Amino acid sequence: MSQRTERRGGIHVDQSDLLCKNGCGYYGNAAWQALCSKCWREEYQKVRHKQIQDDWALAAKLQREEEAAYASSHGSQTQPPPQSSNPQPGHASLGPFSKFEEKKTNEKTRKVTTVKKFFSPSSRSAPKKETQEGKTPSPSLSRRASFDTDQVSKDFMDFLKNLQKPGREIHKQCRAFIVTMSSKKVQDLGADELSECVQDFYQNLSDRLLGHFKGSSESVEQVMDQVEKYIMTRLYKSVFCPETSDDEKKDLATQNRIRALHWVNIEMLCLSFDEEIPEVSENVVKAITDVIEMDSKRVPRDKLSCITRCSKHIFSAIRITKKEPASADDFLPALIYIVLKANPPRLQSNIQYITRFCNPSRLMSGEDGYYFTNLCCAAAFIEKLDAQSLNLSPEEFERYMSGQASPRSSDGVWSSAPPPDPINPVLAQLNTNLEALSGLSTRQEALMEAAQSLQAELLSWPQSVQHEVTGIVKKYPLEVPPRQIPAIDNNDDVDNDNLPPPLTPQVFAG
Amino acid sequence: MAAGGAGGKTYSFKVVLLGEGCVGKTSMVLRYCENKFNDKHITTLQASFLTKKLNITGKRVNLAIWDTAGQERFHALGPIYYRDSNGAVLVYDVTDEDSFQKVKNWVKELRKMLGNDICLCIVGNKIDLDKDRHVSVEDAESYAESVGAKHYHTSAKLNKGIEELFLDLCKRMMETAQAEERLKGNGASQSASSRRGVQIVDDEPQATPAGGCCSSG
Repeated sequence: MSQRTERRGGIHVDQSDLLCKNGCGYYGNAAWQALCSKCWREEYQKVRHKQIQDDWALAAKLQREEEAAYASSHGSQTQPPPQSSNPQPGHASLGPFSKFEEKKTNEKTRKVTTVKKFFSPSSRSAPKKETQEGKTPSPSLSRRASFDTDQVSKDFMDFLKNLQKPGREIHKQCRAFIVTMSSKKVQDLGADELSECVQDFYQNLSDRLLGHFKGSSESVEQVMDQVEKYIMTRLYKSVFCPETSDDEKKDLATQNRIRALHWVNIEMLCLSFDEEIPEVSENVVKAITDVIEMDSKRVPRDKLSCITRCSKHIFSAIRITKKEPASADDFLPALIYIVLKANPPRLQSNIQYITRFCNPSRLMSGEDGYYFTNLCCAAAFIEKLDAQSLNLSPEEFERYMSGQASPRSSDGVWSSAPPPDPINPVLAQLNTNLEALSGLSTRQEALMEAAQSLQAELLSWPQSVQHEVTGIVKKYPLEVPPRQIPAIDNNDDVDNDNLPPPLTPQVFAG
Repeated sequence: MAAGGAGGKTYSFKVVLLGEGCVGKTSMVLRYCENKFNDKHITTLQASFLTKKLNITGKRVNLAIWDTAGQERFHALGPIYYRDSNGAVLVYDVTDEDSFQKVKNWVKELRKMLGNDICLCIVGNKIDLDKDRHVSVEDAESYAESVGAKHYHTSAKLNKGIEELFLDLCKRMMETAQAEERLKGNGASQSASSRRGVQIVDDEPQATPAGGCCSSG
């Protein structure tokens, strides 16, 4: 990070580079291909005129081909003549670029789209762009972005309406800039060149605005905020984490690094957080949410405000814990902790994106800039973090990093010492769970004991019952009426007489 | 890099606060911006980024004071903090020799990275504890002079010297900014000055002073 900026610091800009390419003596502008406004207009008119004629010829040709191809299969679908695909003038003012995207989505096939493209207003304002396929951002990307961008352009137009004449001028400039930017092949340009283009545009525009508003920097800033929002929403897809940079690789590295450092706790960072206090842990959670949310924003300034919100939550947490305003000595470790806990998606890409495309006045000196700088510091610290920076011995650090040990396993040592601060809410929760479990197990044991005694009781019960019964039997011996027995015996005898004689063993010969 | 608007000129300066932990950076800046010391009634949520608006000889100045983490483990992050800053306040504790040594390291580093564009102030804080002083006044002042910095003695507790320190620093930063503007010529100054990154500067000022200050420090 720092290296990159230092490099930036030394860039030479020759006076002659700023002048119009045509040599008319006026200052040129990168957005106008280094021409001055007058030369650009002439050039642009010329090329545009030629382009329109070319387009017509080509479109007519394609139209014939298309009709031939589709006549059989899509008999009912008649292609509107090319002329009618020109947008209504009313729409032209409402960001024709988005209209053009919409149209694309409505089309059934890519081929048909190409025909229309030649007649969409964007092709007229970007003469060199549409003649070749593949220079525009892929349609799927534009389609997804289309809704947001439409909303943003509407807001932007509403904002500019209040400015009247300069508003129109600003809009024209922005559109021209977006078109030049999208006509440039992102693959060919390095991320730094893209950044230069955008920064130059900001610079040029804000200088002009400063002249217009007679030096009222507040109004300029207001307009510049809107301009940034409009431009960056549109360019986001093509310039965020560009393929030419190694941002993505760095993102992955950082993400893995943070994952490997999951064991870092508050004590190691010498942090003044007391997460026992519910308000503190609430603020910590909010801070984590905010820093994660950063990735979902498109405009650099919105990303910055996520960081600012995150920082404010951290400050609240420190303030509640320490009961005094947080200094940088408290803040930076806390932010590092939050970043480690949050593992924000695409952290490096986001940092790079903000550095490259944010309006510099905000980044350099404002409060947002300060928090952003701290986030950069946190990211740099995490990248270079070693045993020493956590007050650990190298062996300990190695063991934690390799996952052989975790600082929590030494919990037992701490708990014998003065009551340890719970490391984090999860661990605190774990501890209460463990307590609950041990409580449960003692109750279980008690239950088992009771059950066993019950069993023993049950086993001895029949005995006692028998004992009782025999006791009672002895006490009241059973008197059997003697009369009945002989009667039965007599009966038996009678029956016996009627029976055949019992078999007697007989010996057979042999 | 003074972002000067046209008309009623407003200067915006960024000042970094460097120094070891516990030398009283935070107390100093809170005393300056809130005029409070160790006060339970400090309303500000944080004391790491504070701003102050000043009016010096009819010129408006917006001062943004950036506190930095002073722990040794964050030392390497310094360049991220102090880039693009106009001034640096290097604080040490007069009762702590080590903290003065730290200041010397900072000075070397700052001169090497930012050259002479940055105005340096070396500040001995806690002069209310003068009886425990371990850094002699002569040593500190002669060192400051040798590296082209101004030396101040302050006490955040007694509110001594802090106002003067920042006022002086602002005046010096204004001079630097004006000199820079004159150098660039009046026409271009306005546009080029607020542009981040592209500074139309020569490489020399980055190279030459490095030798000068390191040899003397």
